[in-house]
Amino acid sequence: MKKYFILPLMASFAMVGFAQDFDTDPTVMIDNEKEDLHFTVGARMMADVAYYHSDFTPMKSGASLTDARLRASLTYKDWYFYADFGFGGGKFSQKNIFVQYTNKQDAGNHSVKAGYYNDPAGSMARNTSLGSYHFISRPGSTNALGEGRELGITYKFENNTWFAQQGVFTEDKYNSQEAGFNGVTVAGRWLYRPLNDNNETFHVGLNARYARIGGGVEYNNTLKKTLTLGQSLETFVDDTEQFVSCDIPWAKSTVDVGVEALYKNNKFFARGEYLFKYVAKERDSETLFIAAQNNIDAWGSIDYWIAANPIKDNKFHGGYLELGYLIFGKPYTYNNAEGLLGGLGGNSLELVARYNYTNLSNLIEGEYYSAGRDQYYPGGYMQDWPYNSAAISGGNIHSATIGANYSFNKFCSVMLNYTYHKLDRDKYSYDKNFHSLQARLLFQF
Amino acid sequence: MSKNFVRLGLLSIAAMTAFTSCEDQEFTNQNVDAKRVDIQTLSPELAKVRDYVPLYAVIAHRGSTFWAPEETESAWRWAREMGVDYLESDLQCTKDGVVLANHDENLKRTTNIENVFSELVPTTRVQFYESLGFAHDDAVKQYERDIAAFRPFYTMSYYYAELLMLDAGEWFNETSLEQARPTFKGTQYVSALQDQIAYAEGKMLKRDANGNRVLTYNVKPEYQGMTLQEIYEAIKAKGEYNAKYMDFIEYHWENAYVDDPQDTGHRPGIYIEFKESWLNPGNMEKRVYDVLDECGWNIITKPASETAFYKNGKVNVGNTNGKVILQTFSFDALGRAAKVFDGKVPMCYLLWTGGYATDLLFTTPIGYADFIKMAQDNKAHILGPAISGAPNNYPEMNEPWQAWMIRKSGMLNHPYSFDTYAQMTKYLGYYNYGNVTEFDDLLRLNVPKTAYTTFSGDSNSVPVYLDGFFTNRSEMSLLYMIENGFRCNAKLPNPFHPGQTYDNSQAPSVVPDAVATLERLGY
Repeated sequence: MKKYFILPLMASFAMVGFAQDFDTDPTVMIDNEKEDLHFTVGARMMADVAYYHSDFTPMKSGASLTDARLRASLTYKDWYFYADFGFGGGKFSQKNIFVQYTNKQDAGNHSVKAGYYNDPAGSMARNTSLGSYHFISRPGSTNALGEGRELGITYKFENNTWFAQQGVFTEDKYNSQEAGFNGVTVAGRWLYRPLNDNNETFHVGLNARYARIGGGVEYNNTLKKTLTLGQSLETFVDDTEQFVSCDIPWAKSTVDVGVEALYKNNKFFARGEYLFKYVAKERDSETLFIAAQNNIDAWGSIDYWIAANPIKDNKFHGGYLELGYLIFGKPYTYNNAEGLLGGLGGNSLELVARYNYTNLSNLIEGEYYSAGRDQYYPGGYMQDWPYNSAAISGGNIHSATIGANYSFNKFCSVMLNYTYHKLDRDKYSYDKNFHSLQARLLFQF
Repeated sequence: MSKNFVRLGLLSIAAMTAFTSCEDQEFTNQNVDAKRVDIQTLSPELAKVRDYVPLYAVIAHRGSTFWAPEETESAWRWAREMGVDYLESDLQCTKDGVVLANHDENLKRTTNIENVFSELVPTTRVQFYESLGFAHDDAVKQYERDIAAFRPFYTMSYYYAELLMLDAGEWFNETSLEQARPTFKGTQYVSALQDQIAYAEGKMLKRDANGNRVLTYNVKPEYQGMTLQEIYEAIKAKGEYNAKYMDFIEYHWENAYVDDPQDTGHRPGIYIEFKESWLNPGNMEKRVYDVLDECGWNIITKPASETAFYKNGKVNVGNTNGKVILQTFSFDALGRAAKVFDGKVPMCYLLWTGGYATDLLFTTPIGYADFIKMAQDNKAHILGPAISGAPNNYPEMNEPWQAWMIRKSGMLNHPYSFDTYAQMTKYLGYYNYGNVTEFDDLLRLNVPKTAYTTFSGDSNSVPVYLDGFFTNRSEMSLLYMIENGFRCNAKLPNPFHPGQTYDNSQAPSVVPDAVATLERLGY
């Protein structure tokens, strides 16, 4: 088998035709022209340093090797296989692994993709590789409300004007839930690009996702499913989600709807998304009521029990706007096949800014909150045996980021971000303001 | 372009310098956080009532559990004669609405109820109704209603007259072999609140020639001539509380006591706890208010004329506006007491941490401050944190930073419960071996020597982490307070009124021998 390395320019084939978590050009390629095989390997390293300042609860400033990744791909005619694996934090983690078949037509490209990869409705930000992102972290709202990788199959059509990807997924890639069904998701992302040429692109889009939540744990002869939502403070060095997070018990299904817009030219980009999540709940109240009849103080009737243990669907939302201005360097790029903005390339310098808002709270007016018990009291005051509250208090957070990114060449870049967060959450009443100053060294090939 | 880059770099360095110059906290340090959180302070109205309570009060926990059967005549008479400031108790309610003292949720540990009654409604219940003049069929129907609401061995299920059949002293002899006394057996009754007040007033139970308690009772005048069915309907119609309570009997408390010949003149106050709300009727606090009223111990309707906590070597708290202190763990009881007593009677909110519905789950400065606010919003003047140490090994809720937060709030700190000399030493000056801590600004006290102090020098400078305390060893506690200058001292600094002194020099300076006192009282 004849092996040789070719220049990065040749990798544009993969960039246009196939999707992968690294959307930078593969550099190390091995071609077998006789068999029409193309093999690439690559790697990525991210090292962050961060300094945090909070009002009350301390965060851990310091440095961290936040990502270490190996990738490989194989192209054979219209078939493409891709896999990458993470070793960040000293632990192995499954990243993307999928196979894709593409049928190119004049009207556009038709693709079928199967394996473990990003849910197309997971948000534009979550579909963009962190290696190509113009900020050190994705917006908090997309981490809290968007989705990441799932095991599934999608069909995609895209041409210069349209992009449509939809498919079906399941949640747990290893079917390792303690009990219950694995869950199923139907999701899609659809874009319209009224303006799309080499110099300028504008797209608007919609994504939607329905998930029948899987898994759960056995609880008093019922299957209890709990959905957990949360985000870090847009940082990796201390990636705690304690400040903005919530557990949503008895979650049955979710409906996610998002809208997005992206504009870019050679020197400037603007993009933003709005995400809405509806969580429907289901509980076997009768079985739980019967299980509660285990002592002399038990509830007298199921109606009383239900009144004392209310269950209520929840709604959460969030969004962001990102701006970037290229001071010098290689023009901004747009990936038609994925409907995503490309990363910084060559020797370049850019300035960026972002505003993000995440709301994970569904509070109920008139309820009393006790910080000593981290508990809401529906009666409006503390009681010995109160009815349970249906409130969710995951927090509201506004985040504003400014940053500068400099790439020495196509492989190595440094990033600097300052972020201010304003938090509103009863549990952290003394933590209103957070400041973080972060820097990153990124190397990838 | 490179100029811009340099500017950006300089800006970043400046920002980093600004951040790192801040006094950042790298980890959660409760000692630091205690001074960072907002602590609500007591209103002037509540502070005025707080000052009804003597400083460094010695509270005989259940009468002092070490020496005599808790919450009985023997324990409270003994505590009174030892010279404590308060007789402490836990209040529950009988089926006929009598407020009585019992700590546990049922009567099994502290009485012989399991030997007297079965797990069913007492078989003597029908005869009891008949003895009050009700017809047999009427009594049987009420008995059947009693069955429906019956909880075995809970006070709420029995008439007080039935509970007078119980022996509340024998169990003590079986569990406290060293302190056991034959005279405790067969002589101690489950005490009513009226009993506790009578002991504080220097009285004792009226007994017949056989030593049995004399307490007469009859159907209340408003229910006389009615059937039990009609009484049941009438009580139910009042809607005051669940009709499982049949409050139709009146007891003649006015004839239930005699002057105690062994009384030496101490007049302690009472420190009474509303137990968990589900053990009592919804109007429990009002019932207590009424009992205090009937006994002349309700300072709202009958303010005290005296202000001195001690007179001529005698305890006089029971003759002042500090004669009654209310206490509870219960949110419900605290809220209802706030409505009934309106913050005009000293109130203590007790702190516990664990898994119960009223526990402080987050014993952090934020959680602690939240409960301080909640207690004050419900018109409490005192916090009562649990303390660690053998033999109870309760969770520690009175660390220096916690004691500091209570003091900062202007509330009194009455931790519970003390059993050992080591515990008294710890919270009265030697928690950190007496070393200076960041909380000394509010907690360190310069105690001047007295004729009774045992420390050397003219004064003793110690951090003090309480303003009064619940003790099971009253004799030991009193002696400690006297020898260390917290009692019988004319010039104690008053931490709640800086610059002023607190004078308790008239407190008894001699602590009687515990055993000799029991014997003097006839036990």
